[in-house]
Amino acid sequence: MLNTTRLAGLGRYLHRPVFFLLVIFTTLGAMSLLTAAIQDGGINPVELALLILYAILMLWITASFWTAALGFARIMRRLYRRAPVSAIQARQENAGEPFKTALVMPVYNEDPERVFAGLRAMHQSLIETGAHNGFEIFVLSDTRDPETWIQEEIQWRRWALELGQPTRLFYRNRVENTARKSGNLADFCRNWGGRYRYMIVLDADSIMTAETLVEMVRRMELDRRVALIQVPPVPVNRSSLFARMLQFAGSLYGSMFAAGLSYWQQDTANFWGHNAIIRVRPFAEHCGLPQLPGHEPFGGEILSHDFVEAALLARAGWKVHLADDLGGSYEEIPPTLIDYAKRDRRWCQGNLQHSRLILARGFKSLSRIHFTMGVMSYLASPLWLLFLIATGIEAYFRSLKAPVYFFGDNVFPVWPQSYAVEMATVLWVTLALLFLPKLLSLVLLAFDPVLARRFGGLPRAALSVLIESFFSVLLAPVLMLFQSKFVAAILLRTTVGWPTQERGDRQTGFGEALGAHGVHTLIAAVAGVMTYVYVPNFFWWFTPVLAGLALSIPVSMITSRTGLGQLTRRAGLFLTPEESNEPRVLKLLEEQLAAPKTAGLDIAGKRDAWSQAVLNPATYALHAFLLPDETPNRRRHHALEGLIFKLQDEGADSLTTQEKRTLISHRDGLYELHTLLWAGSSVSRSSRTDQ
Amino acid sequence: MGTRIGASFPDGTEMLAADWQPASQRVSDYLTAMGVSEPLDMERLVAQVRLRVDSRAIAAPLEDIVESAIEETHALLDEWLVAELGHEADANNLEAARAAVLSGHVSGWSARWVSFIIGLTDHSLAPAIHALTILPLPEPAPLVMDANVIDLCCHRLRRRIAAAICRFFCHPELRTPAHGGSS
Repeated sequence: MLNTTRLAGLGRYLHRPVFFLLVIFTTLGAMSLLTAAIQDGGINPVELALLILYAILMLWITASFWTAALGFARIMRRLYRRAPVSAIQARQENAGEPFKTALVMPVYNEDPERVFAGLRAMHQSLIETGAHNGFEIFVLSDTRDPETWIQEEIQWRRWALELGQPTRLFYRNRVENTARKSGNLADFCRNWGGRYRYMIVLDADSIMTAETLVEMVRRMELDRRVALIQVPPVPVNRSSLFARMLQFAGSLYGSMFAAGLSYWQQDTANFWGHNAIIRVRPFAEHCGLPQLPGHEPFGGEILSHDFVEAALLARAGWKVHLADDLGGSYEEIPPTLIDYAKRDRRWCQGNLQHSRLILARGFKSLSRIHFTMGVMSYLASPLWLLFLIATGIEAYFRSLKAPVYFFGDNVFPVWPQSYAVEMATVLWVTLALLFLPKLLSLVLLAFDPVLARRFGGLPRAALSVLIESFFSVLLAPVLMLFQSKFVAAILLRTTVGWPTQERGDRQTGFGEALGAHGVHTLIAAVAGVMTYVYVPNFFWWFTPVLAGLALSIPVSMITSRTGLGQLTRRAGLFLTPEESNEPRVLKLLEEQLAAPKTAGLDIAGKRDAWSQAVLNPATYALHAFLLPDETPNRRRHHALEGLIFKLQDEGADSLTTQEKRTLISHRDGLYELHTLLWAGSSVSRSSRTDQ
Repeated sequence: MGTRIGASFPDGTEMLAADWQPASQRVSDYLTAMGVSEPLDMERLVAQVRLRVDSRAIAAPLEDIVESAIEETHALLDEWLVAELGHEADANNLEAARAAVLSGHVSGWSARWVSFIIGLTDHSLAPAIHALTILPLPEPAPLVMDANVIDLCCHRLRRRIAAAICRFFCHPELRTPAHGGSS
């Protein structure tokens, strides 16, 4: 027994060499195939470019493939081995002095109803497991929109009253949202971090079960050198076809990828920004983020803070784990292709910014690999685009002297005698690396009938994989162009904002689809005609890419349809375990969202929240109570007066969102506004009395 | 703005008699919005506000009678809350108490307010107000979180290369560093 444990311990040292050797040898193998295929009488510059691009892309693909394959092996192994839990459970009860864990949810202009419904669901889940006393909830608002701000306060007040004493629900809105989310978390640590041993960072759409929350804390207690445990979130709750396909893929393939990542990342895993538990003191000590020298998009504030924070913790000698074996961690995803691309736009700049950190001094090698992979997740698209262009150029030159690839009734390309086998092998190897993980996931289901039933049964899951693969082929070139455009824009020093993610279900109309994909369709038409005329042999190879682009408008619209998503659900397609056997916490979320609003501080409608804050005495009093007690200086007083005059003279519609926020950001200005509006003749009686 | 009254009304008392009606209506509206529903309570509160505005007008001419009336209503509420809170009545506690009573969850608060105005000693509402005073934040428990140093590898590399090239071609005399002035 001891020998087995020791061997297992030693085996851990082999994980990374095994993974990286597999990646390198597979890449070299594929490279040798391509070299053999194109090397007929030397290599010209285009071919050299092709080889370099192919090498980079193959590294990316093989890393992904072997991650999935190793994850597959791990899960298969787990299926036949029971995890030893008793020893761990026994130690849990001996956890020394009492401590609290903060559930922190940084929010920025998010739907307050959804934010608080999610937190309520998690809290209820904790109550049901009897673990709620160990947790406190912190809503860290960076919301700038005054309407949303007021609604957050109302939601907080309502729930806090329901919970009563002792207070376990806290809320604050930051005066300045310096350094965005990382600054928000840092502000929390600086002011209240000493109160907690751990914080579990949530996103506005995060949902976690109580069992998982408790287990995360338990694991942290087990190993005092662990600073962060990331639990991979599974996408849930969306009903459009696009989102359901992503949810299915995330649920089925995601577990395999997470298991593979955990296999080779070991103690230097990554932070994904949310659904993770963090040891507060080391986080405060090591994760204060500096500004990068230079200007945006590559300088300034670090946008994607999570990777950097994980790297800083690892640099300081702390362990960062990926708990791939823990379920009960959920998130919501963008409902449509266009929203998905918008989110990518936001993330792209953050990830590309990491390119400056890859070679920064002191980071662990694996942290550098995380940075590189983050960069590559967006840089891969323009590289694929360049690869396609280079292939087209190469095909054109070959067409001037080489025979055609397609003729007669042949469905598959017929290569010239000299390199037909090698080129076909390159193609099939690449396709195998891309699609084998999908097949492996079905093998997993075949070996785990219980899990297979949760995915709607093996036949339906197989059909779902087939359809999902078809759509992913269609969507891949569109995402390639989107991401290439984003990368180009960022390289041209165009900055992006940090807009709120679209979280609810919505559908893409024709106008929106045309605006987003019109260029894609045009590119498909031009590239199609050019290849058909100048390189007809290449045209047929190119058809999957062209089809994706040419059909992007209808595909984008069709996949955004919630009706179609629900239809596939009724047909048992793209079913996920969370849909077939809905976890309690997700049911609680649904109940919270469906619950009728209680009396008291309800607001009439979203648009009226700001007006209520300045007119309704109850809302005004609540808002004033939550504002910091500051003595006004003369300059601010005059600025507020100016805004009040503007409001009186030109009406509320003349004020910008920022001005509205400024007006209600200080107790003195708010009081002045409140009394003036109640005294004013411009405000109708009904608007005052109807509050 | 409300009815503007300025220098043309030298005597405050006369002015109030003429202009109180719209202010009275507005104060009633304001009290209703606060949650005062009993007509008798309303009547007494309006009367008290009028008295306060009256004395204010005697002290100095009012710019806006309605605005003054709203301010006095506010001040009247705060006065009662300060009395309820006693020695704990700092600015934050006062805001908290106001938010608590106006939330509508403290039953009988307007009656108690009126009792205070007319000088009746009644049971204190402080416990009920305290119970509803939910602090948004816990006591501070600060941690130091300074920005860490990230030493970028090739930071200013371009500038350094450009400077080296410039030194090489434009200022050949600077190619090798000077070793003192020995010659």
